[in-house]
Amino acid sequence: MMKTMKNILLLALLSLVFSVPVHAAAGNTIVLDGSTTVGPLAKSFAAYFTKKYGVKVTVSESGSGNGAKSLINNTCDIASMSRAMKPQELEAARKKGVTLVQHIVALDGIAMVVHPGNPVRNLTKTQLRDIYSGRVTNWNQVGGPNAKIVVIQRESNSGTQEAFKELVMGKTAPISRTAETQASNGAIKNRIASTRSAIGFLGLGFVDRSVKPVAVNGILPSKATVKSGTYTVSRPLYFYTAGMPSGKLKTFIDLAGTPDGKRMISELGFIVR
Amino acid sequence: MNLGTRKILDRSFSAVGIGSIAVMGIALLIVIVPIVYNGLGAVFFTETIEHRNMLYNEFGKGDKAELDKENAAAGIYRKEAYSMLSRFEAEMETMEPVRQQEFRSKYGPVQTALRHLIGPLPGDEEAILTRYRYGQTRWEKAEEKLHELLYEAKWDYSDPNSMAKEYFVSRAAEFEGTSLVRLFPYVENNLDKMLQPRFTVYWGFLTDSSVDSHIFGGVWPEIQGTFFLAVGAMLFAFPLGVIAAIYFTEYARDGFFTSMLRSANSTLAGVPSIVFGLFGLAFFINTLKVSESKSVLAGSLTLAIMILPTIIRAAEEAILSVPKTYKEASLSLGSTKWNTIMTVILPAALPGILTGGVISLGRAAGETAPIIFTAAVSVGSAIGIADVLSSPTPALSWNIYNLASEHEAAAEIRHVQYGMVLALVSIVLLLNLSAILLRARISKKLKG
Repeated sequence: MMKTMKNILLLALLSLVFSVPVHAAAGNTIVLDGSTTVGPLAKSFAAYFTKKYGVKVTVSESGSGNGAKSLINNTCDIASMSRAMKPQELEAARKKGVTLVQHIVALDGIAMVVHPGNPVRNLTKTQLRDIYSGRVTNWNQVGGPNAKIVVIQRESNSGTQEAFKELVMGKTAPISRTAETQASNGAIKNRIASTRSAIGFLGLGFVDRSVKPVAVNGILPSKATVKSGTYTVSRPLYFYTAGMPSGKLKTFIDLAGTPDGKRMISELGFIVR
Repeated sequence: MNLGTRKILDRSFSAVGIGSIAVMGIALLIVIVPIVYNGLGAVFFTETIEHRNMLYNEFGKGDKAELDKENAAAGIYRKEAYSMLSRFEAEMETMEPVRQQEFRSKYGPVQTALRHLIGPLPGDEEAILTRYRYGQTRWEKAEEKLHELLYEAKWDYSDPNSMAKEYFVSRAAEFEGTSLVRLFPYVENNLDKMLQPRFTVYWGFLTDSSVDSHIFGGVWPEIQGTFFLAVGAMLFAFPLGVIAAIYFTEYARDGFFTSMLRSANSTLAGVPSIVFGLFGLAFFINTLKVSESKSVLAGSLTLAIMILPTIIRAAEEAILSVPKTYKEASLSLGSTKWNTIMTVILPAALPGILTGGVISLGRAAGETAPIIFTAAVSVGSAIGIADVLSSPTPALSWNIYNLASEHEAAAEIRHVQYGMVLALVSIVLLLNLSAILLRARISKKLKG
């Protein structure tokens, strides 16, 4: 009795193991780690690349900071980042003998978004700075209805957060401690779509009907205004590699410059450089 | 205490007991019913012809001749809609510039809504992302999108002192007096003919890979990844756990060292799983470098450490519950200690040990935190058994989180997310069920 059951179990296990197609020898993969903003792009590139060249590509979205750490620790091939490497990271890489090479994939606007029910259409950078540093706490101080502003930011690991701080807050004003933190673009979007008096920021590719982008200094974020540089809250998105890429890695990085790559970038709502 | 009070106390105790069981039952229902209902929706649903086209093009499933016939039937009605569009485009050319400008800005959203509904319009450049190549693949989603085509959502900003309210304007009214006005009732009445909805059972949800980051297709790579991770964790943790339990019960002498070990084990059982995740990253990947990147191996090792304390505890209890007389009888017959453990104690304790093991297996399958940094990726193809040492893998628990929070089209693919949740819950349930059966089987055999 026991023996037959054992055999059946063993057989089941073996059949499971061998029914799995064994392809691609170990090492023949590209591993991406990093930004959730670059995530959609990285995932689409990965799917396209796997289909076209038969090379497996895996994508993790754990934030730009983690992407940088993984690359420096040599546990990924490409760090996808929504900000440039910080001096500390470059220093850490140098200590480990890793040369970080930057590749710009696309441009992305950081859209300031509010609930669609919010009548505010335009904010100046000064007003944004005041809202995020806590000096302005009610929408009626910036031309809106009488409602307390719920300020939403990203976590410290986020490249979008770093870029926002650099582009809007400048060096002087720290973000208020009462600001709420959400861990991804999707989470911010959900929070704002369900909170009437909230404000937050999203990568332009994530903006949809559930939230309303506001103009910054009179300019609405769009592909055209980001590309022309009139919408100023924008930044490049990067792929970082350790050393100059070669072989399949180079082909992957160069995807961004190919016609198909450019179409993917544009269909996902990012801006071709 | 007199008899009356005792009775009242007794009754109220039973009432509280029954009450808490009822609360638990209701809570379980509230949690389980939506999961099962929505999760089944990922497999059993009304598909449109767009879904059949997608399956044929991406997976080569379906009957080409049948599909062509259906596409032709749907095409007749679509063609009529397309011709309404081109008629209106021609009409716009004849308008005076101001009016033309006004209608052009309103016409764009109509085109977009129609694209969402029935796929690319004639003259569109073929999209490179699969998500833009098809219309709605699910009928209930198509009905939602139909509403977006028929009505425009607007916000009433008239009162500057309060937040605006949403209201809907019929698009047909906006195009009053133009030829496009006919399109809206036409699409509304003929949508079923354009999309050819049909009830289907899509088992491919469990066996196919995902297409265009989970927007279409199934969750096989995730299921397989979960399986590899959980089984991998067992391969490491189970033997180690049982050996440790044997040491604790049979060899270790009671003393300071042993009690330290025991309390260390109990503490380990209470450590939050994210701590194991970070430890796994720091120790297995960055220090030991068991693999070049995240990998199934690193994830399994991390999970193994997480479930080890539970396995040790369960095995210890099982061994202790073996009657002392078994051991004494064996030793008195001249058997060695090792022989007694292997042939008498372990077989008798096996049901309990296995139960602990399988429950831990369920926990390993369901944990997210330990694999975030050590094994899980949000997109990746199914990996072969040869790749487990070096490749990371998608896994159900992590991808559920990813789809809920980070995915760019999270609201569009709730059914996939629910499907994943149901798959995970079923896997864990099956594991636990098999533990119960196995235990019953072995106990029966031991009783002779």
